[in-house]
Amino acid sequence: MSVMASAPSLLAQIAFWVLAAGTLGFALLTITRKSAVAALMALVGSFCAVAGLYATLSAHFLAVLQVLVYAGAIMVLFIFAVMIMSRDETQPVALRGLFLRAAGVLAAGYLFYRVAWIVALEREAEVLSRSTVYPIPGFGTVASVGRLLFHDFLFPFEAVSILLLVAVVGGVLLARPFRPGGGAS
Amino acid sequence: MPGYAYILVSLALFFIGTAGVLLRRNALFVLMSLELQLAAGSLALLAFSRGLGDEKGHVVAFFVMALAAAEAAVGLAIVVSVYRTRKKIDLDGVNELRN
Amino acid sequence: MLSHLFLIPLLPLLGAAYLALFGPRHSRAVVQTLACLTVFAAFVISADAFFFALPKVVHEGGLSEIVYSWFSAGTVDVDLALRMDALSGLMCLVVTFVGALIHLYSAGYMAHDEDYARFFAYMNLFCGAMLTLVLGDSLPVLFIGWEGVGLSSYLLIGFWYKESANASAGKKAFITNRIGDFGFLIGIFLLFRATGRLDIPAILDAARTGQALAAPLWLDLPVAFWAGLFLFLGAAGKSAQIPLYVWLPDAMAGPTPVSALIHAATMVTAGVYLVARMSAVYLAAPAALAVVAVIGALTALFAAIIGLAQNDFKRVLAYSTVSQLGFMFVGVGTANFAGGIFHLFTHAFFKAGLFLCAGSVMHAMSGSGDITQMGGLGKRLPWTTRVFQICWLAICGVPIFSGFFSKDAILGGAFATQAFGHGLAWVGPCVGAVLLLAALGTAFYMSRLYFLVFTGPCRASEEVEHHIHESPVSMVFPLVVLAAGALLSGLVGLPPALRELFGRPGESTLAVWLEPAVGAPLAVSHTLEWIGMGASTLIAVGGIALAYVFFGGGYRAPAHSLAAGWPRLAGLVRDKFRIDEIYALLIVRPLATACRLLFFFVDRILIDKILIGIWVFVADLGGRICRFVQVGDVQRYLAVFAIGLTALLWIAARPTAPDEVNISVDNSTVQIKLVDSQARGGALTYSFDFDGDLVPDRQGATPSATWMYSGPGRYTARVIIEDPRWHTRRTLVREIEIKP
Repeated sequence: MSVMASAPSLLAQIAFWVLAAGTLGFALLTITRKSAVAALMALVGSFCAVAGLYATLSAHFLAVLQVLVYAGAIMVLFIFAVMIMSRDETQPVALRGLFLRAAGVLAAGYLFYRVAWIVALEREAEVLSRSTVYPIPGFGTVASVGRLLFHDFLFPFEAVSILLLVAVVGGVLLARPFRPGGGAS
Repeated sequence: MPGYAYILVSLALFFIGTAGVLLRRNALFVLMSLELQLAAGSLALLAFSRGLGDEKGHVVAFFVMALAAAEAAVGLAIVVSVYRTRKKIDLDGVNELRN
Repeated sequence: MLSHLFLIPLLPLLGAAYLALFGPRHSRAVVQTLACLTVFAAFVISADAFFFALPKVVHEGGLSEIVYSWFSAGTVDVDLALRMDALSGLMCLVVTFVGALIHLYSAGYMAHDEDYARFFAYMNLFCGAMLTLVLGDSLPVLFIGWEGVGLSSYLLIGFWYKESANASAGKKAFITNRIGDFGFLIGIFLLFRATGRLDIPAILDAARTGQALAAPLWLDLPVAFWAGLFLFLGAAGKSAQIPLYVWLPDAMAGPTPVSALIHAATMVTAGVYLVARMSAVYLAAPAALAVVAVIGALTALFAAIIGLAQNDFKRVLAYSTVSQLGFMFVGVGTANFAGGIFHLFTHAFFKAGLFLCAGSVMHAMSGSGDITQMGGLGKRLPWTTRVFQICWLAICGVPIFSGFFSKDAILGGAFATQAFGHGLAWVGPCVGAVLLLAALGTAFYMSRLYFLVFTGPCRASEEVEHHIHESPVSMVFPLVVLAAGALLSGLVGLPPALRELFGRPGESTLAVWLEPAVGAPLAVSHTLEWIGMGASTLIAVGGIALAYVFFGGGYRAPAHSLAAGWPRLAGLVRDKFRIDEIYALLIVRPLATACRLLFFFVDRILIDKILIGIWVFVADLGGRICRFVQVGDVQRYLAVFAIGLTALLWIAARPTAPDEVNISVDNSTVQIKLVDSQARGGALTYSFDFDGDLVPDRQGATPSATWMYSGPGRYTARVIIEDPRWHTRRTLVREIEIKP
């Protein structure tokens, strides 16, 4: 079955550019803020933009989950933590070993640049050139992803739920105040 | 948009996350940047998933999300615990694993 | 019946092992029974073999037995081989008989000692080792026994090790022995080098017949000479001759039975035995024999002189032993092997007897051996005195007693020997003359000992005198047996002159018996023999009379005036000519200083500081580096992670090297072609630099290029394969030679 990659419509293009700019822009904001709350807000914004990107990728189920879980639950968790603990940063970037870490960042940057270059070179490849999905109805919907989850990936699904349980218990344990001489259960 | 565009976005996002992880002093910021990296990874997964027409990528991204949640919970618990003893959450002096 | 030779040394060795491990658990009765039993059993087996089995085969080399094949290295096979021939059979009998008697004696003598079992374990060990030495048919086996007796000697001398003087004496014995052992080993090596064999019959054969041992080695002297010389060095160590005799007087620190067995009758005779055993080697080198004889004679005289000024009972006997060993060496050194062995035989009896008497006397004197404090013991210790008298007369060489005949044999042999060639013919008579003097000295000092201890008033303190008593039967019985031996053992060696008188012409029984082992006995004219006998008697009687003048019945006027007249000389003699001190100065101190220096330089500086210091430094450096890296800072780790990842990927993404680089040269035209067996994915660009100027001469997507050189010479060509996607490259360098 041959598939023709059809050119994206103008709306799709504008949507992509806006969302991509939003993602990256908010991300940059996140890492450059002095105030943790501001950074968090930026992060939320970034995640919402990412959710939008997911939607343009026909990953509808995940887009919704992104908003619910990430931008919702995880970020709320972070906000609680920030509110309890953080003061505004006087010195956002740690000084010790800065040289090494900056070098690491540069190395990573170079690596990503190289990979990006290859991607750009190979952009005609089949998997990378598609701008629409197969005319399969229900791609990326709750139903079809759910079907996969409960059939082929049932075991990992259950395992992850146990993992979450472990994480919850672990989190509670770790965050308890230390009481010398016991404090069981 | 063709898939490669999303890959490039994902790369850029991952790079931003890396920079945040490596450079920031506050532990919470590091955790936040970590979340960025995870998001970037999921994005790439979904892009390829669309390209291949296979929803398995969605399933993996789903698991990544679950894992990110678990990791965030535990990580924050640790930060809280550290905060209790040190009254600050700077990564400056957290080098008990030294030598 | 009991026809296995290996049992002879084995039984005492087993006894030693058992007593060492389990002895302390048993009662004294059990220990002494076991110990005496093993040696006695060895005696029975030896006697059985000697009297019944041996005579049949004594002319074919005796009884021999290979216990097992020990090792083979290169061209030589060494077996644990034992042989009882005429000589070793006789030695076996002596060792086991005297050994058994002394074990019996020790049962009484050591009765109150705590380490009863240990003592008998060591004594059994000694007997086993000595028997191995005597029965050994190859030099390594003999050497095992040699070392074994040295070890036992050390253990037994230092038996009461809690006194450091005793331990030092043991060490002195062992170390001096060791020097001798070094010589022994060199001797063995030389013999092996010359003959390629280590078993004694083969070596003796080679000495008798072949050219191997006559070949010159160093200074144009034959191998036989050097081998004999070095073997004699070993013998000198073991048998306390000059210059290695110094350990024997100190060895008196051990229990008296030890002195009797080891340092009188058996171990010290091992050297004499060795020379007699290797008789053929010595006969092949008369110069070596001369050395043996001269040193023996000098030692005999020297020790006799020292002996006449000693004040400790056992010390007198010790120097006497050294002197008598000198006699024996003169015997074997003048190729009078039968004579030397004869004296060994008689000496075993009377010297052991003398020592056991010493034990008896010291026992009576509450442990003291100082003869200046003795006197008049003749009345109080009847049995001991009678035994002592017999042995004393034997050692002085009074006729009828065994010592007379054996000394006579040696003296006669010294004057009559033909062993030395023309250049060394003077050795025999000179040595003989020295021995005459030594015999005079022997008679004198032994008589001095007798008179001072057993005659006259008692010079001891009241308390000691009160305790004087005769020894128990277990100690007296061996004494009597030995005295009988001292009296009668001369009979086997009656010289031909006397034998003729009794109607049994011919050489002495002993000489005839030993002939298969050591060769024909020395022929001495009857005239010479009678002269010799007369001279010996005169000397013996003269010596005794002289001693009587000085010491009869205690210290007499002449003795005091002699000592007063030459006090310095007297002191020097008493101090054994300060030989020990000289050795200490010349040898021990330089060695000790050398050791200290070595310790300081090598141990402290070289090893501790430098050799170890280097590694300490390296380890410290490594640690510092690691500590520097492991800062515990996660972000730094991640940074390194990122850098490393990038580097790795960058290296990994290089284009792979081609399978083949074909360079074809045709006059001045060169074509380089890169060949890959598999197709490469992705486009690569190739750039070729032919002339070595680092400027690409050809570039493109094809993996081959051609170029024409302007002239002959060596060029360095470079091919750079580039992957445009990753911007990575791989460079290949080749040398191209253009021939004119």
